[in-house]
Amino acid sequence: MLDAIARNRVATLVCVTVLVLLAVGLAAPGFLTGNTAAIIWSNGLVLMLVALGILPVILTRNIDVSGGSILGLSAVVLGLTVNAGTPLWGAVALALAAGTAAGALNGALVAGLGVPAIVATLGTLGLYRGIMLIATGGEWIEGLPDGLKALGAKGAIGIAPLGWVVGALALALALALRTRRGLWPNAVGDNREAARHLGLPVRRIVFGSFTFAGFMAALAGVTFAAQIGFVPNQAGTGIELRAIAALVLGGVSLLGGVGTAGGVVVAVIFFTAIDTALVFLKIPAYWNDLIGGAMLLLVLLIDGRLRIALERRDRAARYRRATQLPDRTPLEDAA
Amino acid sequence: MGEMLAELRGVTKAYGPVQVLRDVDFEIRAGEIHALLGGNGAGKSTLMKILAGLVPASAGEIRINGTSLSHPTPAQVQALGLYLVPQEAHIFPHQSVLQNVCIGLPRAAHHYRDRIERHIAELGVSISPDAKAATLEIADRQLVEILRGMIRNARVLVLDEPTSALTPHEVEALFTRMRALRDAGAGLVFISHKLHELRAICDRITVLRDGNTVLAAPLADCPDTRIIAAMSPGASALRDRAAPREIGAQALTLEGVSGEGFEDISLGLRAGEILALTGVVGAGRTELAETLVGLRPLAGGRLEVNGRALPRPSPRRAVDAGLVYLSEDRQQYGLFLEAPLFWNTSSFVTHKLPALLRPGREKARFARYRDSMKIRCQSPEQSAAALSGGNQQKVLLSKCLAAAPRVLILDEPTRGVDVGARGDIYAIIEELAAQGVAVLLISSDFDEVVRLADRIAVMAGGRIAGELPGGSPIGEIARLAFESREPAHA
Repeated sequence: MLDAIARNRVATLVCVTVLVLLAVGLAAPGFLTGNTAAIIWSNGLVLMLVALGILPVILTRNIDVSGGSILGLSAVVLGLTVNAGTPLWGAVALALAAGTAAGALNGALVAGLGVPAIVATLGTLGLYRGIMLIATGGEWIEGLPDGLKALGAKGAIGIAPLGWVVGALALALALALRTRRGLWPNAVGDNREAARHLGLPVRRIVFGSFTFAGFMAALAGVTFAAQIGFVPNQAGTGIELRAIAALVLGGVSLLGGVGTAGGVVVAVIFFTAIDTALVFLKIPAYWNDLIGGAMLLLVLLIDGRLRIALERRDRAARYRRATQLPDRTPLEDAA
Repeated sequence: MGEMLAELRGVTKAYGPVQVLRDVDFEIRAGEIHALLGGNGAGKSTLMKILAGLVPASAGEIRINGTSLSHPTPAQVQALGLYLVPQEAHIFPHQSVLQNVCIGLPRAAHHYRDRIERHIAELGVSISPDAKAATLEIADRQLVEILRGMIRNARVLVLDEPTSALTPHEVEALFTRMRALRDAGAGLVFISHKLHELRAICDRITVLRDGNTVLAAPLADCPDTRIIAAMSPGASALRDRAAPREIGAQALTLEGVSGEGFEDISLGLRAGEILALTGVVGAGRTELAETLVGLRPLAGGRLEVNGRALPRPSPRRAVDAGLVYLSEDRQQYGLFLEAPLFWNTSSFVTHKLPALLRPGREKARFARYRDSMKIRCQSPEQSAAALSGGNQQKVLLSKCLAAAPRVLILDEPTRGVDVGARGDIYAIIEELAAQGVAVLLISSDFDEVVRLADRIAVMAGGRIAGELPGGSPIGEIARLAFESREPAHA
């Protein structure tokens, strides 16, 4: 029974999400519509991208807290270049390249120079935000072209073009993590020494994970700019912490080696659904953080206790077998 | 003899000032099983890790299948057909057995499923390829490693104590498999402490002691006595024994104590006495010691220190009762590596220090121990990481003594310690016993045990295999430790 719950964290989370949505639907008729679903998906895109990007990093038992700054930096690169007359596709490409390079620098610091991930990315968190502020002089970037805004506006069956892109990326990541090489980040986080022993390119895997996180944060920056139509100087601030919270809620272990893209998608939807539902229930927006935080703590507390109980049981079982001798008294003992 | 598959020439390895291997030659030929033997710290695991590309050698040459490698990586070594099955299975707890075995192979895991199922059947074991590795028992984790070697078609297979966690039935199946591999032209290295196992399958033997090759010959030419003599030439050690000491009141009593990895241990220890608790790695000695001081749960039995029962041991309660444990793992559980030396000395008694710390007093405390124990260091503020193994061990002893122990448990106190410092540590242990401290000496070094102990308890498979008087012949101890029982994981 314990096993079933602890090992099916994602299924449990799906049930809770559905229950919450149904409850809100009862309290506020008109909530349970396809339109609401499209809104929830759209509201969650930026968080989804950052969280899915950090997923491989955390699977390798590292962490990346610079996602929000990379998001802001990429959005500024996009805004500045497109307003300077660069064609939209070129500006998007530059923004993605900037974010990927920022992620690669994180990866080089951690995998190449051996800086602890939390230290390296706390440093670049400030560094990238600083570059962004210097580039804009602290000003907001406004007047973004309509072509960009169209990427974030409603498209086929109520989903924006970027919404489709993110859905496709989530699916691709989920599949990629199941391939032969896709298991490598899991392996590195699960037992680094074993991965080294088996000849896996441990440092390249870690480097690749951080680079991927940078790319995804950059795409989040593009999405952010397209959805709101301007780039404030605090764009993305604090989103890395929400992303990490969503990862943990989605069953990703901060100790590495455990987690699925599906779990992350469900967790992001859960968070966004709560925010959206609060709007429907006409609860003031300043309650969002409190309720979201309380939900997160509750789920994690229960999950943590379950894991401890499971571990204790596994350990006891191992040693019980180790000391159970067959019932016999070897003759040589007497000697 | 078959063709040369792998060879090490003049391999030397030093960790800082500690020389682990000195100019060692080793070769593996096709169609042979080569036994590698040696006591704790003899360097056999390090030698094999160098061969597998896991540890770089300080000097020497490595050739595998004719290819000379200066700085081999694990991937290169495995591509050349060598696989090391390590002593502690390297598993990924959250992945399935199938994924664990196949990770790092050129194709996706499901391509290998049939072969793995066949190998599992050949080994005569029953594990499911889809089981999560975390749920595997210790023995089955070892099998995952053996399967890794088999699935990689390794021509050179190094097995570092593979049988220590297997049942007799599984050992026999493994040996059958090893013979089949040998007959098919593979070369195998078999590391084990169990002489009868070596006799059953090995063709050649190499014995290491203190990083030197002390015996290399066909196994048939080596009677047990010659092998044991090569491992521990301790016959002369007796003459160094100290004068008899005065034995005092009962200081430590264990009655039927059980816990993780050991069962039904009864022992008594008196003040001023040195009781050695010896045996091979995995016999449950460290687990027992950690349980006595509350680091592991006590499953049953009675524990008494200085006549007072200790029903629920905890590290604090143990220290307060006068029971102090010094871990075998200096780096991980003993020292505060970055802290200054004098804080290491005071670290066991922090709860007795004044609220406002006075570093001067702690430095003076350290200086007293430094002088009496001949700790070689530059200043009390120096960090512990920079000291040699022997001096680190003395700092740890000073930490234990600062707690004024009545019963002192020392776990492998001279592992990785050079010969000079070893003599100093022996003198300190004997001096302590002369002052009335009851010493429980956990050691796998039979020379040391014979040299120091008043009584010798031998542990095997989580139980006491027998008790011998101090100064018993090494052969007697070895027989109890190696042969008396099958491992407990049956």
